[in-house]
Amino acid sequence: MKKLLPFTLLFLLICHPVLANDISLGEKLILDKKTLVSEINDEPEKYLGKRVRIEGIIIEVCAARGCWVEISSDVPFQKIQVKVVDGEIIFPMEAKGRTAAVEGLVEKLELSHAQSLAYARHKADEQGKEFDPSQVTGPTKIYRIRGLGAVIK
Amino acid sequence: MKWRRINYVLHRDIGYLCIGLTLIYAISGVVLNHISHQFNPSYNIKKSETYIKPFPAGTEPDMTLVDDILSQLNETGAFKNVAMLSPGNIRIFVEGNTLDVQLATGKTLQEKVTRRPLLFEVNYLHLNKAKGVWTYLADIYCVLLGLLAITGFLMIRGKVKTRGIILTLLGFIIPIIFLTYSL
Repeated sequence: MKKLLPFTLLFLLICHPVLANDISLGEKLILDKKTLVSEINDEPEKYLGKRVRIEGIIIEVCAARGCWVEISSDVPFQKIQVKVVDGEIIFPMEAKGRTAAVEGLVEKLELSHAQSLAYARHKADEQGKEFDPSQVTGPTKIYRIRGLGAVIK
Repeated sequence: MKWRRINYVLHRDIGYLCIGLTLIYAISGVVLNHISHQFNPSYNIKKSETYIKPFPAGTEPDMTLVDDILSQLNETGAFKNVAMLSPGNIRIFVEGNTLDVQLATGKTLQEKVTRRPLLFEVNYLHLNKAKGVWTYLADIYCVLLGLLAITGFLMIRGKVKTRGIILTLLGFIIPIIFLTYSL
């Protein structure tokens, strides 16, 4: 049994993020000042390319790859998407409903009508919802955060 | 000790060392190959629709309302959070379940998520979700696989020489043919 102890300790060390209450993902958070999601949504161009720290409830997680989350805003019915590089950070499904502090760069996606249709279809597929092409009427701009690091509480 | 003997011992012992890790990566590899929006390899996701008693227009969402909804659905999971998605639509998060409720109609969509036993753990390692120490262990495993290939190649001789050469070539040719026709 004594021989198994180092392996058991190693396994626990490796599995630490699964077992931990606070889950740290990606880069360490370095910003002290929190930016409100509503401020980014109101004036996204002002924050474009800037590193921001936001906090809110994780209301949706990418079910296929854990490569994005949606964070609720301080203003009712608003949210913002945090997209991460596939594999670099993987948000666990258990994160849904937990509070998160996320840091990342604000970015803009400018999609043509065809790209907007493809994007909407992709999102509908991800969420298991029916795709309604009539909801996409033209080119769209999407502001989101390119996530660099997160702490899920 | 002759170099062939050393090669054989290396191949054998590295092989033993790699059995567990290879099984982990093999099992996980198959399920991760089939990842899609319909199949999550690490979690079981069950969606269902049900109706609860509707709430009168203008009902202010509060914890009494949340408790009422959860008790109507016999949901006993630990409460995590609540969010208003849009006017009249509330999302309640409890451990292992997310409930979207249309207050005016009582229509409720539930999404129950549970970890797939064993697959969650092997995928966790394969996808290197742990990062840190596991990154280095997985790198070492890759080097060991390379050594297994090299020591295996050096064992081609004698009666099985032709078979060994053909099978080795097949291992190179199959991906090359695939890439030729798919790129």
